[in-house]
Amino acid sequence: MGGLQKKKFERGSATNYITRNKARKKLQLSLPDFRRLCILKGIYPHEPKHKKKVNKGSTAARTFYLLKDIRFLLHEPIVGKFRDYKVFVRKLKRAYGKTEWSAVERLKENKPTYKLDHIIKERFPSFIDALRDIDDALCMCFLFSTFARTGKCHVQTIQLCRRLTVEWMNYVIASRSLRKVFISIKGIYYQAEVMGQLITWLVPYQFSHDHPTDVDYRVMATFTEFYTTLLGFVNFRLYHSLNLVYPPKLDSKTESELKDEDDYAMNSESYLEKLSALSASLARVVSTAEEEEAQLDQFPVEGEDIETMEAREKEEKQQEAQKKLFEGLKFFLNREVPRESLAFLIRCFGGEVSWDTSVCIGSTYDVTDETITHHIVDRPNIDKQHINRYYIQPQWLYDCVNAKILLPVEDYFLGVTLPPHLSPFVEEKDGDYVPPEKLKIMALQRGEKPVKVTPGKVKVENAARLEQEEKAEEKRLAIMMMKKKEKYLYDKIMFGKKRKIREANKLAAKRKAHDDAEKSDKKKAKTRK
Amino acid sequence: MHYNTNEEETCFLSLVPNMASARRLKRVAASQPGFINLKSASDSAGSASSRRKRVNKNKKKNWNKHSDINDIDEFLEDVRHQERTTGGLLSEKSDDSLFFLDIGQPKKAEQKEEEPVEGKKRKGKASRPLRIDLILQHDSLVQPPKDVLAYQQPNAKKLRRIAQKAEQLAAKGVVPRRQKQLLNRRPVDRTVKKAVTEANNNPDREYYDIWGQESKNTADPWYLQQTGKKLVKRPEKLNEKPSVLPAVEVIAPGGSYNPDFFSHQALLQEAHDIEVKKQKEEDKIARQLAVNRADTATEETVFNEQVEGLVEEENEEEEAALDEEEEDGAVGAIVLADKKTEKKRKRERAEKIKEQQRLADRRQNDRRQQLFQLRSIKASIKQQDQKTQAKQIQRKAKQEAQKAQPRRLGKLKFQPQDMEVQLSDELAGSLRRLKPEGSVLKDRFKSLQKRNLIEPRERAKFKRRLKLKYVEKRAFREIT
Repeated sequence: MGGLQKKKFERGSATNYITRNKARKKLQLSLPDFRRLCILKGIYPHEPKHKKKVNKGSTAARTFYLLKDIRFLLHEPIVGKFRDYKVFVRKLKRAYGKTEWSAVERLKENKPTYKLDHIIKERFPSFIDALRDIDDALCMCFLFSTFARTGKCHVQTIQLCRRLTVEWMNYVIASRSLRKVFISIKGIYYQAEVMGQLITWLVPYQFSHDHPTDVDYRVMATFTEFYTTLLGFVNFRLYHSLNLVYPPKLDSKTESELKDEDDYAMNSESYLEKLSALSASLARVVSTAEEEEAQLDQFPVEGEDIETMEAREKEEKQQEAQKKLFEGLKFFLNREVPRESLAFLIRCFGGEVSWDTSVCIGSTYDVTDETITHHIVDRPNIDKQHINRYYIQPQWLYDCVNAKILLPVEDYFLGVTLPPHLSPFVEEKDGDYVPPEKLKIMALQRGEKPVKVTPGKVKVENAARLEQEEKAEEKRLAIMMMKKKEKYLYDKIMFGKKRKIREANKLAAKRKAHDDAEKSDKKKAKTRK
Repeated sequence: MHYNTNEEETCFLSLVPNMASARRLKRVAASQPGFINLKSASDSAGSASSRRKRVNKNKKKNWNKHSDINDIDEFLEDVRHQERTTGGLLSEKSDDSLFFLDIGQPKKAEQKEEEPVEGKKRKGKASRPLRIDLILQHDSLVQPPKDVLAYQQPNAKKLRRIAQKAEQLAAKGVVPRRQKQLLNRRPVDRTVKKAVTEANNNPDREYYDIWGQESKNTADPWYLQQTGKKLVKRPEKLNEKPSVLPAVEVIAPGGSYNPDFFSHQALLQEAHDIEVKKQKEEDKIARQLAVNRADTATEETVFNEQVEGLVEEENEEEEAALDEEEEDGAVGAIVLADKKTEKKRKRERAEKIKEQQRLADRRQNDRRQQLFQLRSIKASIKQQDQKTQAKQIQRKAKQEAQKAQPRRLGKLKFQPQDMEVQLSDELAGSLRRLKPEGSVLKDRFKSLQKRNLIEPRERAKFKRRLKLKYVEKRAFREIT
């Protein structure tokens, strides 16, 4: 035998991976510290392709990390801070045990802390990278801001999350970037378009609190620590892109309008509360007078012909129109509707909103104001004192936002069964089933006024009938000229397509039957009365 | 009183080195109060005492030995005593300090003014000063002498001159360098609670433009590397996301608070499928564990089993019949083989060759015929190709689907959370009556696990290091 003998598990994938305990020992950290470090630095465990090779022959389930990642972790400065903290805890315990209170005070004043700024710069080298990953951060911050301040997790974290979420909402209002809303049984989903990125986040309902026991709070707290830092920096940058003052200040003239209330919050918190009321506009760095709508310059993109340019312009105009959806309308929210969500929505599209003074700080006008156009109520009935305003249910606002037009108010009056709230996150393709409500909305968007819409499916609109007929003729000829084998293949494909259409028809028939049954029930109820 | 006899005296005095000191000692002893003169008790004996030795008092040597300074000593002692006890000579003190006029009993009203001091209860022990304090007090009224050395300054004149000059310069406005440096030094901003403001979750923390600042790469990269200040580059692989799933997955349209009929039905169908699957698994396990009642052993069968083979009469006939049948079959099995003859071997060889020739011919023929089978061969190759391609596509699709699945990262498998769905009778018609379903916290946690950011873990169990010991209370033990 010649040459060196190769031993097993010394080369290749076995040396690329390292188990979690070995990694922990290499870094000389305890397990919770190691997990925290991995979460902060964005280092995740990997599942190797050939587990047996990596695990040196055994198939025990172990957590593996890439060795290069762990070696990278060794250079991290906050590892030292973790060790300092461990020493600090030991000294503090000793001082407590010996009841040396001056030492305790001194140690507490010099508690070792660490900063995560360099980690954020390293993980998100540019601002757009950070914007792409802001979904998760927003969800986590909104979630933590709804927690009760009992002390289970640091109250400071909850306060910081609340502040950041309020800043974010104010930014979205100022930039009018909200696009879609969906009320689900879990929470409310929002989607906004910020600097070309579509950002979706979920806001839980205010009072749904059952804290499940199998969630690891320490892990969530670590994630939140990282995400709050990230969101703060992103907020800063976003505010500066709009020329707004950061940390946000209320506009001076609107602040004077908001009466200074002492019975809502402590002085230290009242500013945040006023900001979170979302009823006032923000102060700008350079106060600009109201500018007229500047005509956008026409920049022809290379390789684009007139048609696509026109289509793009049309889209932009539509977007501009959508941003001013509620402009000129004045809303008043009754006490039982979710104030924050609706105020956010209304202000995002240019409307004015107010509520009862006993609900929250920051109400701008009273219920007796004559210029109120819509009064949002969620009760079965209310004595309507004012004639020149509509009393509607809150779903109207959400549906208008999703439909991008102002829907007719009659379907949303008090006591009327509401039309179903459709999800804007669903894209329907050709031939799929489309609920009749959606068809109605699409008809309204086109500008028609439908009285009754029968259940049906999406049909391709014919621009020019003759052209289509010609095309159909050509197609038939081509089919006739196909060879047997190709025809066989073509038949197969058509069968599959037709199957979809058949299913859509079936669903439509079912819906019709259901509607008929409902109608007959209604009739019976009427005759009984 | 103890009187020394003469003998004792002489032996006592014989201890003393010379006569002069002996006499001194005698003198000192005699001057003590209550001491009877020795000379009176006994006769002054012998020549040692009758003739006094003549001493020259003019010699310096004898000034100390033979001078009697008792009186002076007494006087000085008296003076010192007076100074110690009263702080000065009594003769120099004024009359008022020594004597007072006895007028009579003082009035009672004055006595009542001496009420006890505020706060303290006049318990003798509590108000008395400590004994150690009393012991350590000065017991003489003489002032301790001033330490002259403490007031002496080396180069006092020089130092005074320097100070004067400095004063003059300061009056003019010139400040020495040291002082200038001290004044220039900014005071240390001792912000109290520094740790609290710097903490990561401080609600009033400051943010700045982290992406706007340009990093300072001014130094030489070699220098940075050698001094250990070089920032390590983040590996490229870490920037890839561990999963293709999006961060926030919007619930299906059937999850709306006021859903459309069909989408709600679709969602219910999904939930129903999951439940059916779960139920099937449970049933499977139950089936596997099921035991047929009839198969359980009863006493009768157990008895029969034990008794088998023990009862002989009936079984013998049956055994005999069985044996005969077996023997018939076994007869023709053993046949001895004859040795192979030459003929046979030759025949075998020839046959082998013929067989090989036949096969070769056949193969050649096949090859010739394949020329005419080209078309079918092509067709079969094409079919195989298609099959492999289809398999490849399938495998790729499976891999893509695998990417969307959560990876197995540890001991536990990922458990997806229960579907959030509200039954038809739970649906609320209005936002006010809506009862939220599911917990967003759990949803986020599971989403983190699904996207392979953390591994699924269960809560660590509480293990006791030492065993618990239960002991009855004594009172309880007495009762029982």
